[in-house]
Amino acid sequence: MSLVAVLLLCHLAAASLTITIPATNLLPNPHGLPASTHATLTTLPSGNDHLLTASLTHASTLVFHDIPAQQESYLLDIRSSEYIFAPYRVDVAADGSVLGIWETFRGNPWDNRGAEKYVVDAAAKKQSDVVVEAKLVGRRGFFEERAKFSPLSLVKNPMILLAIVALGFTLGMPKLMESMDPEMRAEFEEHSRSSPLTGGASNALAGGGFDLAGWMAGTSPNPMANADAAPAGVTGRDTGAATRRR
Amino acid sequence: MRLQVALFIAACVSPAAAIYPDEVNHVDFHHALIGTPSPDSTFFLKPSSASNASLLYTISDQSILGAVNPRDGALIWRKDLSRAGFPTNKGGILRGSDGHNAVVGAAGNYISSWTAQDGKLIWENKFQDGVVADIELLELEEASATSGARDTLALVGSESAGIVRRLDGNTGKTKWESKDTSGDVAFQVSSSPTEVFYISLQSALLKGYKVKVTALDPVNGRQTRQYVLNSENEIATPESVLYVGANVASPLIVWADKTHKTLKVNVIGTKQVQTVNIENTSGQDIRRITVHAPHKLNSLPHFLVHYVTESGAWAEVYHVDLMTSAVTKAYKLPYLQGQSAVATSNIDANVYFTRITDSEATIVSSASHGILGRWNMEAASTERALHAVSEVVSKGKSVAVRAVVLREAGAWELVRNGQTEWTRHEDLIDAVAATWVEQEAQEALAHELEVEGHESLIGAYIHRVKRHIRDLQHLPDWLKELPQRIVSSVLTDEVTNLDNFGVAKPVIVATKSGRLYALNTGKQGAVDWSVQVEETSQWDVKSIVTRPGEATIYASDGSSATVNVSTGEVISRTAPTNVKLQSILSLEDHSVLGINEDGSPATLFDDSIGFLVTTSADGRVLGWSGQDNKSPVWEFVPPSSQKVVHATSRPVHDPIASIGKVLGNRSVLYKYLNPNLALVTAVNEKNNTAGFYLLDGVSGKVLYATTQYGVDPTQPIASVITENWFAYSFFGDVVDESSAKGYQLVISELYESSAPNDRGPLDSAGNFSSLHGSNGDSPPSPHVVSQAFVIPEPISHMAVTQTRQGITTRQLLCTLPESSSIVGIPRPVLDPRRPVDRDPTSSEAEEGLFRYAPFLEFDGRWFLTHVRDVSGIKTVLSQPTLLESTSLVFAFGGDIFGTRATPSQAFDVLGKSFSKLQLVATIVALSIGVAFLAPMVRKKQVNQLWKAV
Repeated sequence: MSLVAVLLLCHLAAASLTITIPATNLLPNPHGLPASTHATLTTLPSGNDHLLTASLTHASTLVFHDIPAQQESYLLDIRSSEYIFAPYRVDVAADGSVLGIWETFRGNPWDNRGAEKYVVDAAAKKQSDVVVEAKLVGRRGFFEERAKFSPLSLVKNPMILLAIVALGFTLGMPKLMESMDPEMRAEFEEHSRSSPLTGGASNALAGGGFDLAGWMAGTSPNPMANADAAPAGVTGRDTGAATRRR
Repeated sequence: MRLQVALFIAACVSPAAAIYPDEVNHVDFHHALIGTPSPDSTFFLKPSSASNASLLYTISDQSILGAVNPRDGALIWRKDLSRAGFPTNKGGILRGSDGHNAVVGAAGNYISSWTAQDGKLIWENKFQDGVVADIELLELEEASATSGARDTLALVGSESAGIVRRLDGNTGKTKWESKDTSGDVAFQVSSSPTEVFYISLQSALLKGYKVKVTALDPVNGRQTRQYVLNSENEIATPESVLYVGANVASPLIVWADKTHKTLKVNVIGTKQVQTVNIENTSGQDIRRITVHAPHKLNSLPHFLVHYVTESGAWAEVYHVDLMTSAVTKAYKLPYLQGQSAVATSNIDANVYFTRITDSEATIVSSASHGILGRWNMEAASTERALHAVSEVVSKGKSVAVRAVVLREAGAWELVRNGQTEWTRHEDLIDAVAATWVEQEAQEALAHELEVEGHESLIGAYIHRVKRHIRDLQHLPDWLKELPQRIVSSVLTDEVTNLDNFGVAKPVIVATKSGRLYALNTGKQGAVDWSVQVEETSQWDVKSIVTRPGEATIYASDGSSATVNVSTGEVISRTAPTNVKLQSILSLEDHSVLGINEDGSPATLFDDSIGFLVTTSADGRVLGWSGQDNKSPVWEFVPPSSQKVVHATSRPVHDPIASIGKVLGNRSVLYKYLNPNLALVTAVNEKNNTAGFYLLDGVSGKVLYATTQYGVDPTQPIASVITENWFAYSFFGDVVDESSAKGYQLVISELYESSAPNDRGPLDSAGNFSSLHGSNGDSPPSPHVVSQAFVIPEPISHMAVTQTRQGITTRQLLCTLPESSSIVGIPRPVLDPRRPVDRDPTSSEAEEGLFRYAPFLEFDGRWFLTHVRDVSGIKTVLSQPTLLESTSLVFAFGGDIFGTRATPSQAFDVLGKSFSKLQLVATIVALSIGVAFLAPMVRKKQVNQLWKAV
């Protein structure tokens, strides 16, 4: 009696499919996979068992012990919360032994098989235990990285860079001028006076500051015009004086 | 490669709405549940002999095996054993052995061994010849026992036979088996250091059972001796046996007579039955007797009998003489009023008993009655303690204890030295209905405003001024708090407090056991209150209707209960009526309408409700109008012998921000917006087809129908409809050469016509009628655009995020049972107008369309549950908040999970990335800069003025 039961168990164990999870760069330690990792064999129901599940073992393998003896083509998925594994196609013969295992591509015709993982050797006597390696294709990132505040990123900002350069000029220019020898300075001043832009700007500054906001709004005269008008004012004063003299 | 491309594209377009690591436990909460622990199979266990740390192991009434960290109550790992074996109504059995990294669990005919530390499978076995009645780990000092693994003794019982099997500790293979075909009830297995005992119950001639003990040789399983104990007068049912010990020097069988006058004790292996008189001095009837004995081979042969009466309890400690097998009473723990629970624990050979009562927790040694430690209980629970397990540690003379107490309400709490460290509400695993509630406080202002709205202009003004003056009394408090608030808001790392925007609404959850829980979503889902509303184990709640301050729960038997949502107090009840309702509708005016199982309305309704679409038990869809409550206006029977399995309609709150879709060339595709749509799923189990039918709820007209072939009807088929689109998913098998095998997700959008800027038959009509069209073709049929995607895993339930105005992009919330998560797929990814086999044109790219790829991999950032393992979810609810960007999500049915979804990112909230400190620092830096530069500039200007002159 007991012998029969033992034989029955042996028979069930005859067709087993073992999937090993190799260590890869993405997953250096397969033993660290969570306990919820499991594999499923899925197909359309034609018998009672059409959805088989195998839990992760302590040897980091997934073992299907009792594949029903029925000719079927299963979709093998390995599911882990964080890691993505390639799906396989598993063909099973009528006696429950595995005929072949191939990679398959989701969203492609089922007959479009990929790399061959295992094919039954017709010449050799039936091999009952099939071992294939799982193929890890990716890892899920669940979280968004939050941009961290760093002083370096502040410096990288062009606006900040401009401001720093401008500040450098404002503070450094007078120092630079002082350190120049008098001849050079005189020449420089002459040069800057003759330049219409800087000359005008300094004139405008002298005349109580340049109203940038006003200029942009169009209510204040153009600094160029201002620069031209300044000498005219001087002449006006001259003429006024002349009239008084008269 | 394909995958990478797909992932890359997905990453480019998805309006990345993933959550930040620092928001975990702030925006979301999760109760990982296992169900009510089974008392016989709950224990502390040190999984590693190297470390002294122990974990708490249990198997629940749901056949879920779990390991809990006793420090904080966090679940370390769990395994659902019911999936693998036959479904059983009995929970399961779990055994473990100290210092061994293995636990053995059994449920139904499935037995398996798992590593205790991380829950990996060691071996599994399925018995074809019966269900596992009992398991025990063999603790034998055998010469051959070289490996550390303990062999398992499994008792497999069936109608006709009981089989004892010894299973190898490493492989699970049967070493030997002993079959008993006498037809006795297979009861338990037990073992002593030298023998294995098979205990069965033999039907006595007249009534009751005799205990039959068969001793087996542990090495080869051969029967060595057998004897029968005369117990037929006391044991009427197998439940009458109080205790069968195992793995101790002198295992015991204990039973009592029906009147609780005497206790019978047999040391297994001996034929004599000792009778111990129960000295009941409490004057009350004994309700329950439990026996507590150690489970360790080298422990002292002492045991405790705990007697519980209606209002109190006492306990007696007995010693067994190993030589003579005589049982003597050692001492008594006094009778105390109130509830009491006792647990046993070991330190080496010494046995300690922990007694937890309402007021205190005490430890005694089994050897003497002196109290070794006593702690006052902080807060006495009102719920009765059913069971406790404890762990005692001793340091020199002092001892400390931590005990896990299971309360009647399903609360599982750890008491350490009198203090409750954590509580797990395991009852929540049976949640059947849930909803968000409005608290009354928020409604006070709304009520005041309503009063103002109804008064005359002057009256309203006076009322408002009065209200504002009244509000002034809060001003001093407010001013007092102000500096603290400013400082704390700048300094702390907290996100802006959004509680006022309706993101921290409490949720009430009804469970099958008749209890109601209020979860505080602002405080990681902590239980605010729980109350037993109905004394039942099958509370079939169909609907919860909320009003500000109260909630009414309607069950399928027609009864209802109204509770106060802030205290849980039951305000009113209605008795059950003699009906069985399949569903209950809640109407706008807070009334309800029940639907009978045959699809007819249980109570009359009138035109104010409008129309009704129901499904009947025999798989039809019926339409009802207010004019005629007796017979349906229309009836939909799916063609080709399909059976309706599911019907869904647009959500009640489904605002539409835009009636059209603006294309890249600035033309508009008008959405088909019919509020009366129903999506019906029907399957034919014979030829594996599934039909999806879009019906107009008023007229019953089929607006769109599609049939999918090669569908597995036994796998979940989920569907959802909202706005102008619907989605469904199923497992599709190969039907022809070009078809794929796998799970599919189909998305369909409805438009008024296929051409942009054209409304088809509706033309310039402002509204349309479902019944009376101008050309007899009413309501007009939509133009449907569909696209199907292959997805990596099944979807068991679908929902859609809801926001206040519907401006935010919607997310399709899919429950993934295989990876125990909930994923929110952004709508732009699921656009059925994505160009197929070509790159998008520039105008399509402007619309946000990108090339169609048949395979849709779920991006990690779409996972609302991120790294959490949220399993068993049956229903996902979504609710808008006052913030347009944010939608509340609550999932229940197994675990409890709640989060805030922001499908288009939190555009109206200052997130954590907004640093107030940085803002303040910038302003300060600028002020310093101005203060520093201003005198310099002034000086320069003055200088220049002098120079100019």
